[in-house]
Amino acid sequence: MQNPSITDHVSTLYRFCAQSMRYPEPEWFTEDYRANLYALLETLGGDKELNDLKNAFGSSKDALEDIQVEHTRLFINGFPHVAAPPYASVYLEKTIKGKFSDKIVAFYHSLGYTMTADSDLPDSLVHQLEFLSFLAEDKNQKAEEEFLEKFFLPWFSIFSVRVKGEVQHPFYHVIISIIDFFTKEEEEYGVQLNEA
Amino acid sequence: MAFNLTRRKFLQSASLAAVALPLSKVIASETGVTRSPLEPAGSFKDETVVGGVCEMCFWRCQLVGKKRNDRLVKLEGNPKSIDNGTSICARGNAGIQLLYDPDRLKFPLKNVGERGKPKWKKISWKEALDECGSKLKKVNETYGPQGICMFPHGSTAKYPMHFFERTVGTHNVSEASFFQCRGIRDTAYLATIGMAPGENVDMPNAKAILVLGGHFGENIHISHIKRYVKGLQNGAKFIVVDPRYSASAAKSDIWVKIKPGTDTAFLLAIMNYLVTTKKYDADFIDEYGDGFEEFTKAIQGWSLERAAKECDIPAAQIKEVAIMLAENAPNVSIHPGRHVSWYGNDFQRQRALACLTGLLGAYFVKGGWVPAKGPKVGKISWAKQEHEAAHNLNMNEDEEMRYPFTPPGTPTELIRDTALSGKPYPIKGCVIWGQNPIQTIPGQQKMKDVLKQMDFVMCVDVMPTDVTMWADILLPEVSYLERYDLIKTGTQWDFSEKQQQYIAPRMPLMAPMFERKDQVYITNEIAKRMGYEKDIPVKTIEEMVEKNLAVAGLSLAQVRAEGGIHIQAGKNPYQMPEDFEVLFFNEDIADVGFPGAPTYIPVKDSPAGFARLIYGRVPVHTFNRTQNNVWLNNAMPSNPVWLNDELATKMGLKDGDVVGFINQDGFKSRTTTTVKTTPGIRKDVVYMGHGYGTANPLMSVAVDAGVDDTSLMTKITLDPETGAHGMRNNFVKFIKDGNIIDIPTSA
Repeated sequence: MQNPSITDHVSTLYRFCAQSMRYPEPEWFTEDYRANLYALLETLGGDKELNDLKNAFGSSKDALEDIQVEHTRLFINGFPHVAAPPYASVYLEKTIKGKFSDKIVAFYHSLGYTMTADSDLPDSLVHQLEFLSFLAEDKNQKAEEEFLEKFFLPWFSIFSVRVKGEVQHPFYHVIISIIDFFTKEEEEYGVQLNEA
Repeated sequence: MAFNLTRRKFLQSASLAAVALPLSKVIASETGVTRSPLEPAGSFKDETVVGGVCEMCFWRCQLVGKKRNDRLVKLEGNPKSIDNGTSICARGNAGIQLLYDPDRLKFPLKNVGERGKPKWKKISWKEALDECGSKLKKVNETYGPQGICMFPHGSTAKYPMHFFERTVGTHNVSEASFFQCRGIRDTAYLATIGMAPGENVDMPNAKAILVLGGHFGENIHISHIKRYVKGLQNGAKFIVVDPRYSASAAKSDIWVKIKPGTDTAFLLAIMNYLVTTKKYDADFIDEYGDGFEEFTKAIQGWSLERAAKECDIPAAQIKEVAIMLAENAPNVSIHPGRHVSWYGNDFQRQRALACLTGLLGAYFVKGGWVPAKGPKVGKISWAKQEHEAAHNLNMNEDEEMRYPFTPPGTPTELIRDTALSGKPYPIKGCVIWGQNPIQTIPGQQKMKDVLKQMDFVMCVDVMPTDVTMWADILLPEVSYLERYDLIKTGTQWDFSEKQQQYIAPRMPLMAPMFERKDQVYITNEIAKRMGYEKDIPVKTIEEMVEKNLAVAGLSLAQVRAEGGIHIQAGKNPYQMPEDFEVLFFNEDIADVGFPGAPTYIPVKDSPAGFARLIYGRVPVHTFNRTQNNVWLNNAMPSNPVWLNDELATKMGLKDGDVVGFINQDGFKSRTTTTVKTTPGIRKDVVYMGHGYGTANPLMSVAVDAGVDDTSLMTKITLDPETGAHGMRNNFVKFIKDGNIIDIPTSA
């Protein structure tokens, strides 16, 4: 097998972000997962975030339930209100599954992708990140750039501000910041996947 | 947060591989996006889906859905419908927004915080059902089935209600549609003509129509409105009795600006006038009447003048109404109303309406009260079983009924009082299904106290209404656009046309999103966990509908092929049943200590400085159920309070002023609304749309929009014959800028 390329690594990072935005389950929210998240933060120079996370998880009786409650509150049906449903249409059309969702599906289809039977809505953050990971894997820089510009950044920028303003647990602040980090610069500089 | 690197530098660094490689090991392989064959861009898949039956209100118009790809983009009336036709109302159109409301419940939730201050955690269906089943089983084993109470509402709640009532065996079920709405009407007519009346008046063919409190146009049910409008188009005289110049009053020939609570006196005076002047239908009464002499004797004291004084209206106007009705009899629609839980003297008023219809001979005649003869379909549910009456709270120590004319179920206050006192037994489990008892039942604090003392509370709903804040487990139900369900049946709305019947089973227009489930699945799974698996009547909701359709010789496939509605030949609705009779004096009522003839029972006047709070519908909302709908909220985001304009001037208030309220018990509204000044309302009442002022912040569109009128109903009144609530016996003053403003009602 060939050594993985930069784009393969980028694909992995997108998938890691997507995974992190799924509902926390014991199957993936493991010690290993946390260790890898810590390593990523160390590499990125996120010392404060690393400490915050370690403190939060270290002082918790049930770290999994803590972030399950936080995930429910922020993204599903939270109290006092759901802070940030993770669907593009909510921000652009004030509805679940709006026309924007159709357009995203059409874009997926145009590049040879579709939704699985048990998937969440097509415009969900998780699936958009999964799609970006596939585009990186396909080394389709043009499509990745287009998708980020047309379908991802227009709502994620609003979403991320809402999440950061509402979080009570550092986990989602960290994850959103990481997603921001891997997507936002494209807005300014365009995607640069080649090492040259 | 700012990392010490830029993305570009990170991607170019040697650390990338060092970090990314281990990450790949903690990533699950499944994704929701997957590779598939290429599809050409722009190939939208448009289709029309049949079989929708609306549930934005209870009228249930028949729908088709326009879909683009897998998204419902528009709802329309089903062209095959002989009921609503292609018309649907604003709420029906806005069903799309309910379907895709971001605030809708999506997954089972567990409250890991407190009741009333919930902290929600998404859990699996298995965990949720295990918890519901085991907790309710424990309540059942510890306290008996009577230890479980239920507050159901809507078509999805019937199946679980029958499970708890028939199979588990609790009497403690309280439906808002009965005890806070139409139950009194139904039992009053049952006690007079042996049938619940529905809204079955043949308005298209009436020569005169009398409406008491109904405000058509502000409440909209398509075929009902068609009947009403056709009647007016055909020249029917129209009489509206209402303290407020409602949308109906605006179309009336006579607007009776009656003092609230005195309607029965008004009706008694009309009937006494008809009797004394012999303007009633003597032949009809000879043939179908019973107890007429006792009746005439009982009402003989109600002169026009006495009623005029009591009702604060001119005697001449009462006479004018009576003559107008008599001159157009028997083709007169005396509308039975629907929401009639007003003053706690309502059973007698509804009896009076039924008797007035009889005096005019207006049963089973053109323009009169005429029930449609609809088709028969099955009603499969949990089998009826005998349960001892010992724990029926409506039976006293002498085994007599406390409220002999109660609608089905147990009067709400009996359940709540028992839950709070623990006497004669504890009520410790609560199932709330589609009802929002916080905003439907007067006495909000009492309801909260009831819920607080429970061992277990579960809610099933589509939206996170106020009561869901009190649940331990909250289950997300599929909406009416995503499920099989009831079978809507009926006839064409104008009886003068060819007699036809229709059968329209509700079919899903869309597959459910997220993890929403239907009532049969949820109930059956709970039943299994409570030990009642052998009693389960159907495995799926689709099976239930198929079996119910089979009774009519139909199947879902056939009805779908017929465009979602099966039409068949109808029957003459005007044919009088052989055993029909009108009990003007009902001895059974008299035997249990209540007036056998319709009797006026006065209600308390407004205290000085206060006005009576009355409420009603607005055309774009179905109370609280549609408040979070973004389209409907945009159309009517708040519920302005109607205030007599002369009083407003004296109070220093003008249109648009922002006000709150304080009631006679010192309770202050949590939110505010605006003032609407008008000459079209009496000085002793104020009026607002019902169902606003949601408290649950999860309803991000509806929260704090307008004032919750139910919150101001701290004084609880009960109708003595039925045990249903009287909801218009509370009084308010205004609060503006923190200052309490008296209402000079005697001005």
